[in-house]
Amino acid sequence: MSILLNRDTRVLVQGITGRAGRAQTRWMLDYGTNIVAGVTPGRGGEEVEGIPVYDTVARAVSERGVEAAVIFVPPPAVKDAALQAIESGVRVIAVVTEHMPVHDAMLLKAHTVGRKVWLVGPTSPGIITPGQAKIGIMPGNVFTPGRIGVISRSGTLSYEISVNLTAAGLGQSTVVGIGGDPVVFTGMVELLELFSNDPDTDAVVVVGEVGGVQEEQAAGFIAQRMTKPVVAYIAGQNAPQGKRMGHAGAIVRGDAGSAESKMTALREAGAEIARYPLEVVSLVTKHL
Amino acid sequence: MWLYEYEGSALFRDEGILVPDYALATSAEEARRKAEELGLPVVIKAQVLTGGRWLAGGVQFARSADEVEEVSRRILNSSIRGLPVPRVMVAQKVEVEREFYLGVTVDGYSGMPVVILSTEGGVSIEVTARDHPERVISRQVDIITGLQPSEAEQMAQQAGLEGEELRQVARLLHTLYRFFRKYDALIVEINPLVRSRQGTYFALDAKVEIDDSSLYRHPELKVTMEEHISHPLERKGHQLGVTYVDLDGEIGIIASGAGLGMATMDAVSRCFRPANFLETGGAISADLLYQVMELVMQKQGLKAIFINLYGGINPIEEAARGIVRYLKEHPTTMPIVAKALGNRQEETWKILESGGIRVVSGVATESGVELLARLLEKDR
Repeated sequence: MSILLNRDTRVLVQGITGRAGRAQTRWMLDYGTNIVAGVTPGRGGEEVEGIPVYDTVARAVSERGVEAAVIFVPPPAVKDAALQAIESGVRVIAVVTEHMPVHDAMLLKAHTVGRKVWLVGPTSPGIITPGQAKIGIMPGNVFTPGRIGVISRSGTLSYEISVNLTAAGLGQSTVVGIGGDPVVFTGMVELLELFSNDPDTDAVVVVGEVGGVQEEQAAGFIAQRMTKPVVAYIAGQNAPQGKRMGHAGAIVRGDAGSAESKMTALREAGAEIARYPLEVVSLVTKHL
Repeated sequence: MWLYEYEGSALFRDEGILVPDYALATSAEEARRKAEELGLPVVIKAQVLTGGRWLAGGVQFARSADEVEEVSRRILNSSIRGLPVPRVMVAQKVEVEREFYLGVTVDGYSGMPVVILSTEGGVSIEVTARDHPERVISRQVDIITGLQPSEAEQMAQQAGLEGEELRQVARLLHTLYRFFRKYDALIVEINPLVRSRQGTYFALDAKVEIDDSSLYRHPELKVTMEEHISHPLERKGHQLGVTYVDLDGEIGIIASGAGLGMATMDAVSRCFRPANFLETGGAISADLLYQVMELVMQKQGLKAIFINLYGGINPIEEAARGIVRYLKEHPTTMPIVAKALGNRQEETWKILESGGIRVVSGVATESGVELLARLLEKDR
């Protein structure tokens, strides 16, 4: 097994009739994802790539049985789309949409408290269990099945790290993009815990970047409870202060959020620190 | 998006937070006139979107009209942390008896609003938190129920306030929280909030950052991002819908994602200095990349360009078409190196090579930097 997603997971695509939803549904099906339904309010009864479209998540869930959802709806509609999925009991939800209002993200996160749901994002590339299924926008060809877990704040950088691991013969168990926004739903700590308990993961790569406190919190978990080797790379070691580096959450404010402080925290917690992406490979190899 | 102090102050007033009477001026003569209307003494404050104005001499007092003119001229002709000062705020001077810090921001880890109160006003809250952590009272707020008046009162009490002072500060904390929610702010700070000799509470500064992703639902703000980006190339980037950050090196960077862009900067920095950071986001088209090339090429002192693309949500073959079209119309001898992986990568490589771009065969960004180093060496 892997974490969160496998070839049997029954997947719903929210926003399936939009440009991105439609194109990505094709790529996900080609990869082997078990997509069973799509939702776009007002478009129920249509089909996209042979997948039936429903007006509401509740209807899609009751008729098709849905375990995971991937969300492609426009930013103003994300909160309600995700709430519908949560209310309908969907277990794993990936929000791919970029530019979700931060206050909406805070409200949505508040609604997940105490519920058994893995909500990932926003601005997430999604989740991929290589060789089995992907829910999201990542290109399938840079990943390969294996035993390394990857957690990343950046989509493209999760591809860069994985393609380097793949080239060195190190496959991935599951790769999760948590998203680059100031507020993310599922953080590094929760995912480290999942990988720590996953019998099919031998080591975990944490891909962080400047801004926020995710990496510092991850360091706390690694020091106290992590049972497997962790290799970390932090992007933005040369990022100037006070500038948003593309991701809304990637900003160094004063001394807070710098790559240096994150690397120090992770190193002191016992993680191996790669100075650049390629170095991740040799550090992972060292521990296997 | 950070608001200018005068914009934040106007919003504060709308919401019932008092600020001293003020006026704006773009010339020393205008500042003198406005100061005479307001009544002396006044404080003259540079209106720039950066912190550290005090230290840079951007905030000064003036007792006479002549002094107003002299100080304003000096500030308007100066630059603060590299930014020009297009206008100053002329504000009535308040006789201060006590200072406080009030703030509301987003706690990234818990994903909750956090309200902060300190009896140390006028210094950065990070400094107070480091030197006198006992003087910083902070509280996470359940965004569904919001900050209750009684919770604000508890905070004021924890800070050691009582009586009228407790009531006033708690009321302002509560008002500030509502302001934070109403305008989709990421940060709102009153630093300092002061009690004047007459017992009136004034905000002497307004630090407000609005969430860029929420601007669409705030037409009432009547502000545009462009007016709030100081650097011309960064402004141009925003108009295109990409993130451009100006840096002081010689290697241009174009990446199809934020993390990839930062990692590319890190890799390039091992041998060279990046001239910029540019991240296209997930909406690549041939036209966009044509314009992105145009933007990156405008940078003075550019020696080479590194393009780093992943085809996930982005059609990278379209990106390649736009780049090559630009190069056919604007031939250059400058080395351009590209790495492109993902959906439709083979097609992308062919198109890029047809434009004279060197495509990296390895999968690591570092191998692109090595190729760049060899090409620039040969140039010498």
